[in-house]
Amino acid sequence: MTLSLPLAVRRGLVFAWLLFLLLGALVLGLAFGAVALPPEAVVRALLGLEENPIVTELRLPRVLGGMLVGGALAVSGAAFQGLFRNPLADPYLMGSASGAAFAVTLFAVLLGGLSPAFAQHAVFQHLPFSATFFGFLGALLATLLTLVLAGGVARTGELVLAGVVVGSVLTGLTTYLMMQDADRVRAVFAYTLGNLAFVGWAGVRALALALLLALPPLFLLGRVLNALQLGEETAKSLGLPLEGLKLLLLGAASLLTASAVAQAGIIGFVGLVVPHMLRRLLGEDYRLLLPASALGGGALLALADLLARTLARPAELPVGVVTTLLGGPFFLYLMWRRRGRA
Amino acid sequence: MKRLLAALSLLLALAFAFPLTLQDDLGRTVTLKAPPKRIVTMLPSVTETVCALGACDRIVATDDYSDWPESVKKLPKAGGLYNPNPELIVSLKPDLVLVSKYGRLYETLERAGLTVYAVRTETYEDIFRTVRTLGRLLGLEAQAERLVAQIQKEVYQEEARAAKAKSRPRVYYEIDPTPYTVGPESFIGVLIQKARGVNIVPKELGLFPKIAPEFVVEKDPEVIVATYPNALETIRKRPGWDRVRAVRAGRICVYTGGEDSLLSRPGPRVAQGLRLLVDCFHGRP
Repeated sequence: MTLSLPLAVRRGLVFAWLLFLLLGALVLGLAFGAVALPPEAVVRALLGLEENPIVTELRLPRVLGGMLVGGALAVSGAAFQGLFRNPLADPYLMGSASGAAFAVTLFAVLLGGLSPAFAQHAVFQHLPFSATFFGFLGALLATLLTLVLAGGVARTGELVLAGVVVGSVLTGLTTYLMMQDADRVRAVFAYTLGNLAFVGWAGVRALALALLLALPPLFLLGRVLNALQLGEETAKSLGLPLEGLKLLLLGAASLLTASAVAQAGIIGFVGLVVPHMLRRLLGEDYRLLLPASALGGGALLALADLLARTLARPAELPVGVVTTLLGGPFFLYLMWRRRGRA
Repeated sequence: MKRLLAALSLLLALAFAFPLTLQDDLGRTVTLKAPPKRIVTMLPSVTETVCALGACDRIVATDDYSDWPESVKKLPKAGGLYNPNPELIVSLKPDLVLVSKYGRLYETLERAGLTVYAVRTETYEDIFRTVRTLGRLLGLEAQAERLVAQIQKEVYQEEARAAKAKSRPRVYYEIDPTPYTVGPESFIGVLIQKARGVNIVPKELGLFPKIAPEFVVEKDPEVIVATYPNALETIRKRPGWDRVRAVRAGRICVYTGGEDSLLSRPGPRVAQGLRLLVDCFHGRP
């Protein structure tokens, strides 16, 4: 339908549509939840006319936190895909999310001497930013390890394979640490399937800080990612200090992954699906793709969390189950299309 | 003379009782040729029941989590539900292994030629059913009846104490900070009811639902019970929970370090768990 429109108009429409989705996710996310609240009560609470902690302390930070986590995952997914010139790269497949999760868990164990699954939650609730920093190191190291094992970014198959191996090993170690407290297997699974239940204002602040640090360099480097798509040699011939810029990209994307994992556990597929959907609408231009992914990822995760907390209300589903059920079939579709083309 | 008769009747009873064939809680047919003398128990509540029947000295190994009575702590530990150690179990040459109905440990042990009985201990009624079953398996049926009566008497005492209380507080029970809670039809849910508390969780949500935090804030419980380390700080620092009545009034009861087992194990010490809840809901006498 939009194909016949001029490019600029089409792109403008995509962004307008994303903003509309994000706004819709915000409104729906505030309007619905485990407790049925009349719309005017929600509005009055937001305007400060009426005290209602369910709206101001629980729902609003949770919806905003979900958007920031989703945005962070989608942008880092898009950046990984551009950086590695590989459409299957995402924080989940590259081992980066697992690295962050392992580091955060290790941090919790070292910090507390408590049983890991609980220290985990204490970390989320009390020390959001220090956990993010530790997770950042974990994400960065895991990604570098994946790159070393794959012998660079050139071979798609090896890259994905190495990422899966690193991710599985680290997830195994995380699970091992947590299983020391085997009585509480539920808490372990809740973490590895993602949980936004207790994202409060402290978590929103930590996420916002990470995004403020990581997004400007990423958005500015969209041009570099575009150049990289033409191959390293071409990018170098444009006179770019490529190695430094690649490290900067990697660092910024790892920071985003880590901040998301530290607040919400491991949430799969957002980083893979969102950039792909948008690539089909916007083309391979990372100057547009990165900001669009931030908006799209935010909207998608906020809506997925809305489903997670309302489908079985007042019980909750793990949000990672919802994103995986949405993302899994999409992933298969992607593979099927690639095969069809080859 | 009386003693002799008693001893004789016991021998007769044993002679008729064994070989004994029973259906276990998986529906498997299990045959015991004689009362078992070397038992491995792979469930903490079953270990407690065997000991409460006075047969603690017949246990040769337990799972990792069995820690009551004190004497079982010294026994070899054969792993847990997720990481059992069948080689250790087989090497001890037990004549009966009591396992959970969950997991497939029984298959391995059966192939090794051991006698395995799978037990389900989940509900309040399971406590008494399991005591009687174990009584038959161990040839201790009279002791089993006495133990059932003893547990029921202790539970009744606590229930009577709770019944005198004027209030029936709204209760939120948290088993881990994800947060997972308990439904009214779970074992703990039944104890909450017996202690005259009102669980805020509706029964439609099942036995162990993951609950939405805003639901708890909306229901505004008067008492919160939690059974994991650091629960007090964790709950107090949650966004928006400072308005919850139980948090404002400081009525958060945290049970850890062994006390949580009294509440989570459907076994012979159930009345002690119930006493914790009655104390928490209505105060100590």
